[in-house]
Amino acid sequence: MAEKILFIIFASLAVLGALGVITRTNIVHGLLLLVFTFVNVAAVFLLTQAYFLAVIQVLVYAGAILVLFAFVVMFLNLKEFHQLEQLHGTQKWAVLVLAPILLAEIVVVVAGATWTSVGAGITPDAIAAQGGNVRVLGITLFNEMLLPFEMASLILLVGMVGAIVLAKKEDGASMALRDWTGDEEAAQAVVEQEV
Amino acid sequence: MNIPVEWYLILSAFLFVIGAAGVLTRRNLFIVLFSIELMMNAVNINLVGLSRLHENLIGQTFVLFTMTVAAAEAAVGLAIVAALYRNRKTLMVDLFDSLKG
Repeated sequence: MAEKILFIIFASLAVLGALGVITRTNIVHGLLLLVFTFVNVAAVFLLTQAYFLAVIQVLVYAGAILVLFAFVVMFLNLKEFHQLEQLHGTQKWAVLVLAPILLAEIVVVVAGATWTSVGAGITPDAIAAQGGNVRVLGITLFNEMLLPFEMASLILLVGMVGAIVLAKKEDGASMALRDWTGDEEAAQAVVEQEV
Repeated sequence: MNIPVEWYLILSAFLFVIGAAGVLTRRNLFIVLFSIELMMNAVNINLVGLSRLHENLIGQTFVLFTMTVAAAEAAVGLAIVAALYRNRKTLMVDLFDSLKG
């Protein structure tokens, strides 16, 4: 019973934080509310006895990814941005109508379905008997999920290379080819100058 | 099984719809990226809740891969944000209309 009460508390805090993220005009406030949401989701993971995932959630999401976001927000110096119009004009009304309908549809379907467990047998008691969540998760990860684990390292490598290539300050001929102003003669002149 | 699996799915639905609404309504590219992270978190909650229901750990290991993809997506997305801001001096997504033809 206590678990259910805690779940409701953390779930409602997470939803309130998420609503805050998409309604704040100041990006830094949105960022901090996003951290708040992630920490509450980590608490939900703790209530599910997914201890390792709760720690990883705090370390990776609330730690690494959010620091990355905060770094770029400060790097770009976006002081004047929260004074601009923040919402798309007509699109927002469509979303205001359609998003609650989508939510209601999902809730009706989920609440109406009957959920029967496959019962693979790795209950929280069995996990505790085998040495805890981290040990059992690690054994699963390095046996059944070994190939996906290696693929994850590949994804991180590609992400790292992609981030460096995209964020690098361009020099040389590639600059002219990526001219964003639409002034084709000026771009062509730059190309010829460099050639 | 103390917490019913429906609760996880409904919490996940709330976060996912909020994230989708954020992507569709906000003009600021940063908030769009935040909303994508919110939607990925909703998927994680789904995976954890169903992993608990079915009493195996495949769902929980899959959350690790979702987090990997989220980290790579955040890094590449922020690099794109930096490059766009350097070239266009704005981050309002409806102003990036060069491909309109």
